[in-house]
Amino acid sequence: MTILVAEDEMIMLKTIELRLKKDGYNVIATQDGMEALKKIEELCPDLIITDIMMPFLSGLEIIETVKKKLGRKTPIIVLSAMGQENVVLDAFQLGADDYITKPFSPNELSMRVKRYIPSAVNI
Amino acid sequence: MHEIIFTGVIQLDSYEFIRIMFVFLTLLALLFAFILGFALYKRRVAKKKKNWQEKIATMISQAIFATEEEDKLGGITKDVEKLLHNSTFRQYVIDELIHAKKNLSGSSTTNLKKFYEALELNNDSFKKLNNAKWHIKAKGIQELAIMEQIKYVKEIFRLTNNENELVRNEAQGALVNFYGFPGLRFLNVTVHPISQWQQIQLLNKLSSAKPQKIDAIKKWLQSPNESVIIFSLKLATFYHCFAVYDTVVNCLQHTSMQVKFSALEYLKVMPQEDTPNFIVNNYASGNKMCKLETLDILKDIGSQKQMLFLLKQLHNSDDDIKAAAAKTLASLHPMGAACLKTHLFADENPWKAIFLQIENERAA
Repeated sequence: MTILVAEDEMIMLKTIELRLKKDGYNVIATQDGMEALKKIEELCPDLIITDIMMPFLSGLEIIETVKKKLGRKTPIIVLSAMGQENVVLDAFQLGADDYITKPFSPNELSMRVKRYIPSAVNI
Repeated sequence: MHEIIFTGVIQLDSYEFIRIMFVFLTLLALLFAFILGFALYKRRVAKKKKNWQEKIATMISQAIFATEEEDKLGGITKDVEKLLHNSTFRQYVIDELIHAKKNLSGSSTTNLKKFYEALELNNDSFKKLNNAKWHIKAKGIQELAIMEQIKYVKEIFRLTNNENELVRNEAQGALVNFYGFPGLRFLNVTVHPISQWQQIQLLNKLSSAKPQKIDAIKKWLQSPNESVIIFSLKLATFYHCFAVYDTVVNCLQHTSMQVKFSALEYLKVMPQEDTPNFIVNNYASGNKMCKLETLDILKDIGSQKQMLFLLKQLHNSDDDIKAAAAKTLASLHPMGAACLKTHLFADENPWKAIFLQIENERAA
């Protein structure tokens, strides 16, 4: 199972990547929206985790492209900063499946991911 | 024979012109070389920083998921070990740890703290407290606060009374971060004013702390520092401290209008039977803002006993006070509304319209 993670902050990206790898997933990590979209088109991940604010292409644009333009049903989990309720609502309207607010627990993120795709390793 | 070259209004000798152009082009070339050199330097620094960031992010993310049995420093490679002797690198590590701590929750934050201590970065942060520059001091306090370094509380407590406002704010915030309500003990000794913004920040931090009895609040309400009184009144109001009612009533006699106003806000939220008498007795000594607040409070807690007082306010020279008194009178008692209709200037504009509006609001 492959998960694409799009997050422009290196430390958060590495943390999420490591957490998901420990769960047995293949992880594609990117720091910008354009690169994320390119990889989504090429590699068809089973789940996408995306931050909202990213360089070149925002998380909302990624959701819109994946769900509406590409017509994919890939589950998308959004990472949002606290106080971005309106943005989260926009994300849901565009087709996002779940969200998690920062500060977040990597273990909680792991449990949310497992709701959509099974992991290779049981915690 | 020298050639005369006309350049606009200036007549120049061709030799001089060439010399000037040469100097100009040389300066331009030097400037260009400087800009290029600086740009290359910045690019190199950014590349180095990105390279460092990747190493640091890998190291920290491994530390986050290290178990009790695993060595927290297990993710440190030999080249990172060498870099840890570089103070700039160490500061980047601190910055990334702080960033991670702010964005993560749960057990991962405990590991971040242990990693910070294992690398002895708390020493780097602590050294900043003795720096002469205020912004470095403030940064040091912030780092120690976020990484929960309670063992430095004595040194941080001293800084709660620092001359620099931002240093004080960080130190005060740190104490509240560490201890919650007991962290407010700096209010016993602070001599500098606590700004409105800082008061909001402290209240915000306390909202996530475990609620506790604030024993010292009575003492703070009698502080020589006016801003401490105002902040304590806000605390008493927000946390419904009934025990300090009498002390708050005494604050109505304070010379500061801000203190009076904050006391009125408390009494609005926690009135008792004698509150209307107290606020009416102290009405005259307040400014317009306090008077309007008093009239507003009486709308909810006043009775027939205050009707004469309110009728008197209809003769106030300030129209806002007249209108506020009229609203309170109308809401107090059915007689109040009747009084408005039969009042001296009930038929005059704009009072006719105001009284009609008050009546309509009541009917609605």
